Amino acid sequence: MAKYPFINEAAEYVKELDLKIEDMSDPILNRAEHRIEEALLYALVSTELRKEEIEISSFPVAVMMVASTADKLMKKRYALAEAKRIYELLEEESKDKILEVTRVFNWKIRTVDDKPPYEFALFFTNYLRNAARIQAKGWKLVNRVVLNGEVYLTKGNVARLLQEEVRVHIEKKLDVKEKVVLPQNVADRVERLRQAFTKQKGKIELEGFPKEVVISAFPPCVKHMYDEVASGHHLSHIGRFTLTSFLTNIGMTAEEVVNLYRSLSDFKERLTRYQVEHIAGGRGSRTKYIPPRCDTLRTHGVCTGMDEICERIRHPLAYYRRKLRTIKVKAPVE
Amino acid sequence: MSVKKIETQKFVKNKFSEYYQEHSSSIQPPTLIKKREFGFLMFKGKVMVRHQSFKDVDGLTKSLKTLVPSDAYYSSAYYERPEVKMEEKSWLGADLIFDIDADHIPTSCAKIHDTWVCSNCGIAGKGVLPEKCPACGEHRFDEKTWPCEVCLESAKNETIKLIDMLKQDFGFSSKETNLYFSGHRGYHIHVESEEVQPLDSMARKEIVDYIIGIGLETRLHGLIEEKLGERKAHILTGPSLEDPGWSGRIARGTYEFLSTATTSDLEEIGLKKKVIETLIQRKETVVESWKEKVPWGLIKGVDHASWRKIAQHGAEMQSAKIDTVVTTDTHRLIRLNNTLHGKTGLKKMEVPVTGFESFDPFKSAIAFKEGTLKIIVQDAPKFRLEDQTYGPYKNQQVELPTAAALLLLCKGMAKVKEDK
Repeated sequence: MAKYPFINEAAEYVKELDLKIEDMSDPILNRAEHRIEEALLYALVSTELRKEEIEISSFPVAVMMVASTADKLMKKRYALAEAKRIYELLEEESKDKILEVTRVFNWKIRTVDDKPPYEFALFFTNYLRNAARIQAKGWKLVNRVVLNGEVYLTKGNVARLLQEEVRVHIEKKLDVKEKVVLPQNVADRVERLRQAFTKQKGKIELEGFPKEVVISAFPPCVKHMYDEVASGHHLSHIGRFTLTSFLTNIGMTAEEVVNLYRSLSDFKERLTRYQVEHIAGGRGSRTKYIPPRCDTLRTHGVCTGMDEICERIRHPLAYYRRKLRTIKVKAPVE
Repeated sequence: MSVKKIETQKFVKNKFSEYYQEHSSSIQPPTLIKKREFGFLMFKGKVMVRHQSFKDVDGLTKSLKTLVPSDAYYSSAYYERPEVKMEEKSWLGADLIFDIDADHIPTSCAKIHDTWVCSNCGIAGKGVLPEKCPACGEHRFDEKTWPCEVCLESAKNETIKLIDMLKQDFGFSSKETNLYFSGHRGYHIHVESEEVQPLDSMARKEIVDYIIGIGLETRLHGLIEEKLGERKAHILTGPSLEDPGWSGRIARGTYEFLSTATTSDLEEIGLKKKVIETLIQRKETVVESWKEKVPWGLIKGVDHASWRKIAQHGAEMQSAKIDTVVTTDTHRLIRLNNTLHGKTGLKKMEVPVTGFESFDPFKSAIAFKEGTLKIIVQDAPKFRLEDQTYGPYKNQQVELPTAAALLLLCKGMAKVKEDK
């Protein structure tokens, strides 16, 4: 339970103790703060098993503390670090223990012994839910042994998939709608963590693109579509969406994007403006769309072939960011 | 639109109306009809009436009878409120849909029966739609496609490969997997199971990549160089015919390819001259070797890189060419079973998987079985319906059985002859 505090039993345990955050002792708060600090600064969380009740209770407290911030990145980092901790522990566990953890998430899984090196067979929808977010080629379903609805996996594979499941599970817990109000002493701790994280973030994050659009930094697929449209040629629906969302994300105004489409023979100003503004997040749902990821573009035949930078990124916007650096355009720091 | 065209459209609509009056009892509502969105493409102006919903099949058939659409669709998705606008429908899940259309398959007829006209410069051509106009570079065309037998046979072959993957690899039962003729140039498969309903578009994309073999690495299916004993030599080992999933498919694809490959087939995949000669000369040995174990690395003179190319090509032949967009779209509208296809006057219909190989769409999918019609055909290729062949026709008046005449009218290849 101390190792895997997200398991229902652990939640029950915390409930039984009827602990309120106001009553938390300093050792628990210290450990919770430490969990978050480790996650944010070093991207890992250690496991301390000597004092079980502290270990168990500190997890929901830490979750509450992180949830109280509105910082999406902070939430992501924390969830990822806790999930990685689980992965490392699971790799060393017995098959039975692993099965027990998968039951928390209602996986359809069984152990197998006739197909070495595989030890588990997992129902493909459970597999896809988690593996679709892992990038390495070996995780693509097409590169796995799939038989009768089951994907064959090693123990290490299952541990890695559980990491994803746990990460999403914790992210959901952190994503609370109503504001979390903490007692002052706990709020102070959160504020301290937030400041340390902001400092750290400034170092590693270079958010924002230069004001001017740098065409020479476009990925090959976007450059191709851009040239096509500029010379009056039509794009597929996905092509149009990709180009439009790419351009609005790197700082082109909706007006400028609309003008780009003006050279098309069947250009309809009102309709184009509506669509562009919708993608740019100015209309309707107010969500700003980002372009599809590289593997999606490959599936739908938008990818025109990869260059060296493509090999190292998974998203057209990441390409732009990376290429900008190489052509020495300084991105303004936020 | 010319007066003649409008008249023809009205005429076709009347025929469709007759069909829905007489055959309304054959309309099969989708499962959980209340949670589905319906859409109707109207003859007039080709506008789509969307966001329709029905409590039961009676409401649906009533709409078909009164609206008389050229095409009728329903959503693969289930919604809490299918009748409201998209953002407010509240998505509950969706069936898993596959669309195999001749448009996405290279066929031996080379689509010579299809014609296209560039929307910009007006230049016309026959066959597969070019990527851009050879004269002006435009990407948009008016195309006229034709459901030829070769096209439909190719679509059938792809469908058979798809069914095999859905059953063997994904383990879907016959009950969950329904096969349909689309009414035009292909087949649809609907997988209805609680397990697949919640899959998001990303998970569905992985299924698409699996079916088409996108991102497939032969290396990850055991085609690897293994060090042999103490010696420095590395030997190539790989999957065998009876392996499950893609491993077996790579082996079987390679086997089939090498059993029939000609010199030019081997040239096309980029093998060197020497390698090709060796493979042709020793074809027997290679084919025989599968019975014992596997041929990988067996023959002197065929290097590992060449084997990899062969295996990759063999795998490609095993993939099923589905429309990628249809399967990944979790809000897709799909044609309703037993309704008419506006481009042919044939009906979309369920096809039993057993016996699919001998299914004849030009016989079974005929909706109009009685009477004849007099029409003026501008230009039509030779074609067959049931056991009768017709055409080719060029600027002539003919009297044809209703189904044959409607096919040409729907395709815009003919006009009605007023019989007054």
